[in-house]
Amino acid sequence: MTHLDAELDQLRQAIHEMMVLAHSQLEKSKRAFLSFDKDLAQEIIHYEKRMNSMELSIDRDCENLFALFQPVASDLRFVISMMKINSGLERIGDYADGIADYVVDLKKSIDPEAIKVVNLGEMFDITLSMLTDIDVAIDNKDTSLARIVYKKDAELNEINANASNIIRDIMVKDTDQIRPLMFLFSTVRKLERVGDHIKNMAEELIFYTEAEVLKHKGKLSTSKQKG
Amino acid sequence: MAKEDEMVVAEVVNKIQESMITLVEDVVEAKETKLEASNIEVFYGHFQAIKNIQMKMPSNSVTAFIGPSGCGKSTFLRLFNRMNDYVDGFSMKGEIKLNGEKIYRNKINVEELRKEVGMVFQKPNPFPKSIFENVAYGLKIQGIKDKKLIAARVETALKQADLWEEVKDDLKKSALALSGGQQQRLCIARTLAVEPSVILMDEPTSALDPISTAKIEELIFQLKEKYTIVIVTHNMQQASRISDYTAFFYMGELIEHGKTKEIFTNPKHERTENYISGRFG
Amino acid sequence: MSKSNKARGKDKAFAVWGISCTMIGLILLAIFVGNIVYDGITRIDWSFLTSLPSRKPEKAGSYTAMMGTVWILVCTAITAFPIGVAAAIYLEEYAKKSRLANLLEINISNLAGVPSIIYGLLGLEVFVRIMDLGASVLAGSFTLALLILPIIIVATRESIRAVPSSIKEASLAMGATKWQTIWNQTLPASFGGILTGVIIALSRAVGETAPLIVIGALAYVPFAPETPMDEFSVLPIQIFNWASRPQHGFAQNAAAAIIILLVITFVMNGIAVYFRNRWQKKMKW
Repeated sequence: MTHLDAELDQLRQAIHEMMVLAHSQLEKSKRAFLSFDKDLAQEIIHYEKRMNSMELSIDRDCENLFALFQPVASDLRFVISMMKINSGLERIGDYADGIADYVVDLKKSIDPEAIKVVNLGEMFDITLSMLTDIDVAIDNKDTSLARIVYKKDAELNEINANASNIIRDIMVKDTDQIRPLMFLFSTVRKLERVGDHIKNMAEELIFYTEAEVLKHKGKLSTSKQKG
Repeated sequence: MAKEDEMVVAEVVNKIQESMITLVEDVVEAKETKLEASNIEVFYGHFQAIKNIQMKMPSNSVTAFIGPSGCGKSTFLRLFNRMNDYVDGFSMKGEIKLNGEKIYRNKINVEELRKEVGMVFQKPNPFPKSIFENVAYGLKIQGIKDKKLIAARVETALKQADLWEEVKDDLKKSALALSGGQQQRLCIARTLAVEPSVILMDEPTSALDPISTAKIEELIFQLKEKYTIVIVTHNMQQASRISDYTAFFYMGELIEHGKTKEIFTNPKHERTENYISGRFG
Repeated sequence: MSKSNKARGKDKAFAVWGISCTMIGLILLAIFVGNIVYDGITRIDWSFLTSLPSRKPEKAGSYTAMMGTVWILVCTAITAFPIGVAAAIYLEEYAKKSRLANLLEINISNLAGVPSIIYGLLGLEVFVRIMDLGASVLAGSFTLALLILPIIIVATRESIRAVPSSIKEASLAMGATKWQTIWNQTLPASFGGILTGVIIALSRAVGETAPLIVIGALAYVPFAPETPMDEFSVLPIQIFNWASRPQHGFAQNAAAAIIILLVITFVMNGIAVYFRNRWQKKMKW
């Protein structure tokens, strides 16, 4: 293995660690939100600092790779895509942090019926599995798995699209609940954004492996609205 | 463990993560100084080739000297093994220290110095003898006669220089029959056989093709675990790839000297930035 | 006629001129050698080669002259080679580059052009008289050594200069002293050139007549030298002597001796060329 290969490997490792952390933050935010666990929420908020410093450190690693090694061809595409995945992961961490903030903020839990009707649990599950899948896909350079991940985002978009109507209906009936329901809606939006970011990561993997750019092509996407 | 304690632990872990990076860098700083130059001025007759340079280089590191042609980097390099002594009109002021000891003093044994500080030149210059004799030369001139010892040292050196596999079947072959890249690795092996602690390299790959260059760069990267290496190079990308520290020379002055990472991402002087981005020189 | 045609015409004209000159030289040489061979080849037999000189042409042989030539050759080589090479090494590697050194260099080259009889006179005074060596092989070889010394020095210096300085640099950078570098690298690398120079110098010495006559080498020497202090004669002197006798037999003897001398010269030059070629193949810079 050459010096450059060793450095690229280290970068991949760092991204993997960040993915593991992001997954853990997201998973904790699911439990914190669904079980209304304020202590767990505090934990998430605390670990957010670690995510931020990891992002800075990976950014610096990528900068050094460019400056010192002038990578070309697939190595260049690799570093570029890892940089973008890096900022995507940091945003996911932000969203988990935001969800934790809601839990800390609320005085009492949200009506579990509302949560169930909106399908929030499923959203969490989908995003968590997408995240795990994309990590595996990067390891194996598995573009078909990446495409599966890419398509899953559509499901999230659909849940999100329906959520606004469902929640509006509940709000009309129960005006007491407006504040918590808005938080619920916001959480749905956040998870939809998380899905978008992971979808972007899938695009980056395909770009890196096949040098094919999927962005803005509307390819593979079945949903047309973002709601 | 209670939740509060978990939090405290997490906090501590966070802090440790952040300071780990600076700690590692500080350890690198604390490596001992292998080579030191103070108040160096070099003249060729009346012409001043080097103007007042100070520099310290730590052991087990690679330092690259970069700069435009004629800036004095090769002259400065050759101070460390006193090869400038043979140039007409050479004179110098200041001190050069190896392991803390001055090397420009009256009673110095120059031959001993050069056994500790080896040199590899720009154009591969193997002796017109066999591969074995080339690598064994340094031992021969020291008076070593033990054939087994010599054979063992030759093999070790050729392995270190990543050439053993290619030549082990016929060490009696003439060194001049090897390709350019192989000849240069032979020159490196010949230097390593003497077991120096410092290796000076004066543009070692500028006469070679890209593949040989890449092989030798990998070799340098491995060698720095045991040796202190100083390399003059015209190729800035090479400097960025393999060196830990970079020194930028211009018209006989040392403009900037620091960690390669910093020089190539955020140099302190504009001239350095212009040079490495190819805007002049 | 167009310009390019004119240029081509000049080109061809020069080629023709060059070839004719060469051919004239070769043809004349061929005629001379052929003549000699024709005259003398029948005379060469074992008795000719082993007989001592005699007043009767059919009994006269070239033995003493041949032996004398061999003795002179060997002693001159032993004397001139180490001194010449050592002097060249000193001048090239140790002497500081100065006006004096340049002057020395010019004068050594000049010495190579000094008429050989001057060396004979010098040898007579210094070796024969002052050092009291008499007209011996030793005196003769010292004299010839002086004669060919400049040739050896120049050839050696050229060979040493032809060794790339990168080799010397590499050797010094490895901790070798100046002498170690010279002994281990410079001399072995330049050896072929030095050898060639020495052989060419010796083949000149083989043909020298005048200086040896001056120091007293005789034509009528009825014995081959057994020690370096003995008197001697050499082939050129013998040839000269026989050629100046009136009897036709001696003319034939002279021709035969010339053939022997030519053979010796050609063989020596052949050896020089062989070694030079082998050396050039080894040192593919």
